[in-house]
Amino acid sequence: MKHYVELIFPALSDELITVITLIIGLLLAVSIILFVTKKVFPGIDLQESTSRIRSWWIMSAIFIGAVFINYTLSYICLAFLSFIAFRELYSVLGFRESDRRAIFWSLLAIPVQYYLAYIAWYGAYIIFIPVVMFLLLPLGMVLKGETKGITKSMALLQWILMLSVFGISHLAYLLSLPEQDGFNAGGRGLLMFLVFLTEINDIMQYICGKVFGKHKIIPKISPNKTWEGFIGGVVCTILTGYLLAFLTPLSTGQVVWISAFIAIAGFTGDLVISAIKRDKGLKDLGETIPGHGGVFDRIDSLAYTAPVFFHLIYYIAY
Amino acid sequence: MKKRFLQGICLRIIYKGFARWILKLFVGVRFSDCSCLKKEDQFIIVANHNSHLDTISLLASLPGSLLWKVKPVAAEDYFGNTRLKAAFSNYFINTLLIQRKGVKEEENHPLTKMLTALEQGYSLILFPEGTRGEAEKMDRIKPGIARLLAARPGLKYVPVYLSGMGRSLPKGKILILPYQASVNYGVPTLPVNNDPVQILEQIQVDFDNMAALYSLASEEED
Repeated sequence: MKHYVELIFPALSDELITVITLIIGLLLAVSIILFVTKKVFPGIDLQESTSRIRSWWIMSAIFIGAVFINYTLSYICLAFLSFIAFRELYSVLGFRESDRRAIFWSLLAIPVQYYLAYIAWYGAYIIFIPVVMFLLLPLGMVLKGETKGITKSMALLQWILMLSVFGISHLAYLLSLPEQDGFNAGGRGLLMFLVFLTEINDIMQYICGKVFGKHKIIPKISPNKTWEGFIGGVVCTILTGYLLAFLTPLSTGQVVWISAFIAIAGFTGDLVISAIKRDKGLKDLGETIPGHGGVFDRIDSLAYTAPVFFHLIYYIAY
Repeated sequence: MKKRFLQGICLRIIYKGFARWILKLFVGVRFSDCSCLKKEDQFIIVANHNSHLDTISLLASLPGSLLWKVKPVAAEDYFGNTRLKAAFSNYFINTLLIQRKGVKEEENHPLTKMLTALEQGYSLILFPEGTRGEAEKMDRIKPGIARLLAARPGLKYVPVYLSGMGRSLPKGKILILPYQASVNYGVPTLPVNNDPVQILEQIQVDFDNMAALYSLASEEED
């Protein structure tokens, strides 16, 4: 019996338990603050915040569940996340009916990409989408023989595949990184560190922007993005990174500048997706998560932070 | 009308147990709430038609307790061209098969068949465009539905707008490609009066309004 329990819920290191406690504590604190605010100032409309925090509870539960059960299941959950994000993107970005075959091929690429991450075959993993799929997908469209609009479809499909599958799959490869002496948190620690920092960055940029925001950065793309919000996000992310440094094999100095990179990358990802939504006249990409929009609306910054963080840490520590 | 327990359980397992989850998770169909149907004794669901996924999604969207008494109206020349196929559709899709063209005898006339089913207490799912047509384009509604409603005063219809199904599984394709789609329920409505022309107009207006809200056409290629 104990054997099976261990198989599904492998023993967690102390570092990870600390972080889980931290996440649940944070959510509890925010929920309590919201609850009290609602009682004290009944006039304020907190509908959006309430549904957001409820979604955060659910997402955190799913994330913690998915990462801390059996490793194999973590890969499957991440692959599924990629799949939903990918589906959201190609659903709203306007493909032609003759692109169906190429889209189907790219869907098949998702399990392959995550399998390569699972078996930790780095060489194949890192070229599969940027090289193999890049050369293969146009063939799928060309064979259909419909040329009107084919240039746009070729470029678009490769781009969303890079963003939602290649980018997000770096989360999975973090789990496959080899063990190191004296570093207990392992791949899960790194994954936790990255996701936590990215989300903190998103939230703090939003909050600092609401509270201090004055000088807009690119009002044409996102009127909510201000210099004050951006800087507040970077500072908070660096602080959080400094506090959570025990999840990584990095020195304090390295953690600080890598956290700064995560904050900037997250900001960029957010902006890029905002620009696309603006072009398409959409508020959100989907309606999967109440208060947040679609799945990719939530993880757009992760698609940028994951490769940045992965390659930095791969270069420095592995 | 006798309650058919075994078929009811079968349909529940197929549509609520499997189809709904597959549609939700993999195909990406969003179901709008339709619990208001439980309060209605009998109704006709009127939906636009683009894909074979339409019928499956509609059945998967219904409350499980109603599945056995809601019959999708389907073309006999397609779903019932062999006896085996007809038996299969009638049991597992709970279809009411009608002949689309060249009906001579009064008893086999589509309208008669539907009225008989309504008489027995069944509710119907009707695709008044008559055929799936081009992906994501809604054809004009045919007048049969209006004549049906005119013949049964007091019967409510429920307009349902399906969007995105034609992209997942267009006419003539076998492979389902996941695409975000949605099943959007309107409000159960009574026809304005007994005049088929005005009922038809009323339904057309309902669909035009829903299309403006839910249609994907605006997102397609410029």
